[in-house]
Amino acid sequence: MPLRKGQKIEVFRRSDDEAWEDYMDAFIGCHGIITDPDTSINDPDALVEVSLEGRGTHRLPQDCMRLLDDQP
Amino acid sequence: MSVKQCPVNDTLTRLQQSSEGIELQHPRSRRIVGQMATLVRDVATGSAGDEHLPTLDALIEELAGFAPDPAGVALGRELRDVLAAHREVFDSHVKTHICASGRCDVLTPAPCQMACPAGIDVPTYVALIGEGRDAEAIEVIRRDNPFPWVCGLVCTRPCEFMCVRGRIDTPVSIKSLKAFAAERALSQGCYVNPKPAAPKNRKVCVIGAGPGGMSAAYYLAMMGYTVRVIEALPVAGGMMMVGIPRYRLPREVIDREVAMIEDLGVTFSFNTRFGSDVTVQSLRDDGFEAFFISIGAHDSFKLGIPGENDFPQALQAIDFLKNVALGDRRQPGKRVVVIGGGNVAIDAARTSLRLGCSEVTLAYRRTRDEMPADIEEIEQAEEEGVEFAFLTVPVSLEGSDGHLSGVQCLRAELVELPGAKRKSPRPVEGSEFIMPADAVISAIGQRVDQKGLEELKELTWTRRDTIQVHNATMSTDMPGVFAAGDAVTGPATVVEAIGGGKRAAQAIDRYLNHIPQPNMPPVPVRRQRVGWTEVPAATKMALKRPHLPLLNMDRRRTTFQQVELGLSENMVREEARRCLRCDICRRCGLCVSICRDKMGVDALQLGYFDFDHPVVTDFRKTQERCILCGACATNCPNNAMQMEDRNGERILHLCGTILNRQPLLYCEVCGATLGPARYRDYVLKRTRAISPPTDGHNICEACARKANVLGAHRTMPID
Repeated sequence: MPLRKGQKIEVFRRSDDEAWEDYMDAFIGCHGIITDPDTSINDPDALVEVSLEGRGTHRLPQDCMRLLDDQP
Repeated sequence: MSVKQCPVNDTLTRLQQSSEGIELQHPRSRRIVGQMATLVRDVATGSAGDEHLPTLDALIEELAGFAPDPAGVALGRELRDVLAAHREVFDSHVKTHICASGRCDVLTPAPCQMACPAGIDVPTYVALIGEGRDAEAIEVIRRDNPFPWVCGLVCTRPCEFMCVRGRIDTPVSIKSLKAFAAERALSQGCYVNPKPAAPKNRKVCVIGAGPGGMSAAYYLAMMGYTVRVIEALPVAGGMMMVGIPRYRLPREVIDREVAMIEDLGVTFSFNTRFGSDVTVQSLRDDGFEAFFISIGAHDSFKLGIPGENDFPQALQAIDFLKNVALGDRRQPGKRVVVIGGGNVAIDAARTSLRLGCSEVTLAYRRTRDEMPADIEEIEQAEEEGVEFAFLTVPVSLEGSDGHLSGVQCLRAELVELPGAKRKSPRPVEGSEFIMPADAVISAIGQRVDQKGLEELKELTWTRRDTIQVHNATMSTDMPGVFAAGDAVTGPATVVEAIGGGKRAAQAIDRYLNHIPQPNMPPVPVRRQRVGWTEVPAATKMALKRPHLPLLNMDRRRTTFQQVELGLSENMVREEARRCLRCDICRRCGLCVSICRDKMGVDALQLGYFDFDHPVVTDFRKTQERCILCGACATNCPNNAMQMEDRNGERILHLCGTILNRQPLLYCEVCGATLGPARYRDYVLKRTRAISPPTDGHNICEACARKANVLGAHRTMPID
């Protein structure tokens, strides 16, 4: 499912991507909103910009996030 | 010590408990703790100065070293450990007036400010714009973002996505407010640079004059550094100039913002390519001590289909847009096919229309729902007449004698592949067809052009072929070399590049002065405290986000005039009043729970407090049920909820939104204020059994008691 601006997500795990830094561990469990997905080709491997509640806006790999509607 | 709160507030609580309890035995320990509590209270409320923390450190050492009171010694050691563990939070309270912990009652930043990649103090400038103080608003913005006008036109506005007002109806038009204030300040000659620091006579070189590079240049120049910007193009602006079409971002806007940076003494070397015209060694020989790379992502991915390199009419979107921006207004062809589904593809299509191309078709291999371009861009393109061909996969470019005549395509269907998160387009065999075209523009993604950086051998590249940096500082693995913008993130946004440039400038300053670098990106800084504007609850609810007027369709299709016309002054001043002032109200919910659970009144319908599950909010409901007891205001940790008596009324307001106002009653005997009728009824109902009778009069308790005593004397005479 391509990510779209305005979708709510959760950072549910630490990413395996090289772009993940240690301070981002504090984002696990945070909820946020996609503010800039890949607007070229919707590459699932691209970093996407998310604004996390209380944590600021960061560009994160997609493997660490899931849409909040998708939670069990 | 509990860590549920921000450590500064936790420390304050601990100190208050110690000074009020019996823990400390010696008056000297109590005195020291009292002094510490005063200092920490200032830190907690964001009103501390530079000397507060050093003084606190000294008092902690005094307490920890005062042997006659072992409890004080233990407390001193405990506080010493807390300060060591949470020093950054204490520093943040003092220096930025914002709490870095995210748990602070008083100094948690507003969601809009936290969301801004440049950390602009959004609530402050919105409030200033609401008051008509546009020049001051711009001054606040430029402390964190040197391009308010540019961002007011093209920002992707993460702030609006996080705007709490959006949980009630629609977010505040923060971007458009910024654009208005910038235009107004410029037209009135009030758009000025702050005074830079004294010259340091140290040189820093910036490679790339895009938003990231120019932001770094601006902040370095403000710190007193001598900055030279190297740029391969003949103009400044980077993707702002050669990637974003003029109908979205007029050239004048970029030129004026760049001129402000030149006024600070920053020098630009255009048509100068790093790695060939200048090298890092030649720059070092010239005395440059640090380097900031922000070369963007100006290279394109190829289609990889036959014929792509055989026709001069087969163009890359990035090159096409750049050439148009630099003055080439020739039509690429009469019938243009743009391949791709992102924002750049849309830009290329809309630009082709404006150049006079008769037919412009955008071919995308998936469906409309999967198109990555912004929905507004797609809609505007459709309105202007761009045609869309979905589920279309280009196979080869056809033509003869160097003239393109069409694109051979296959129809596609979306199929689910095992392990893939989304459906993939699979060409349908036998579905070939030719799309007639005399020009094809490919827009399937951008990449960083690494040419020129080969001599920086210690520079590390990611698997995405972008420059590897530490995000807290934008430092690369090469000492003294920093990077930000699309060269680091891949194609991203203007405001991210600006934030990265600012962060890098701060890190370069630390590097050159041998100051340790932070481990985390910095928290934003609260620049000012602006009072709120009073708005009645009904008005607060009734105000609606204005629709942005657009240029008429004929001009949109035929000229490069700016499509979005901006908000009028009246719209801007009204729109600013919709702001909920989340820099003051932290949405802790204490007022709601006290009103509902302690007082049993339940007058506050503030459903926007919750990020995940906001429910209905209606400020008007309070007037119906609120008794103006003041319990909410008394318990508000930030003084966001306030109650006051004014001109014969008791008024309850939340950051200026007047939730309830009722006339006051006064004692018929002594004139003392009794409060509003509803509150009086609430109290009397609960105290009827023990209160002196008033016989329906408005009499205060003291007067009622006196009257009752006099009455008792008359009815029970003393013998």
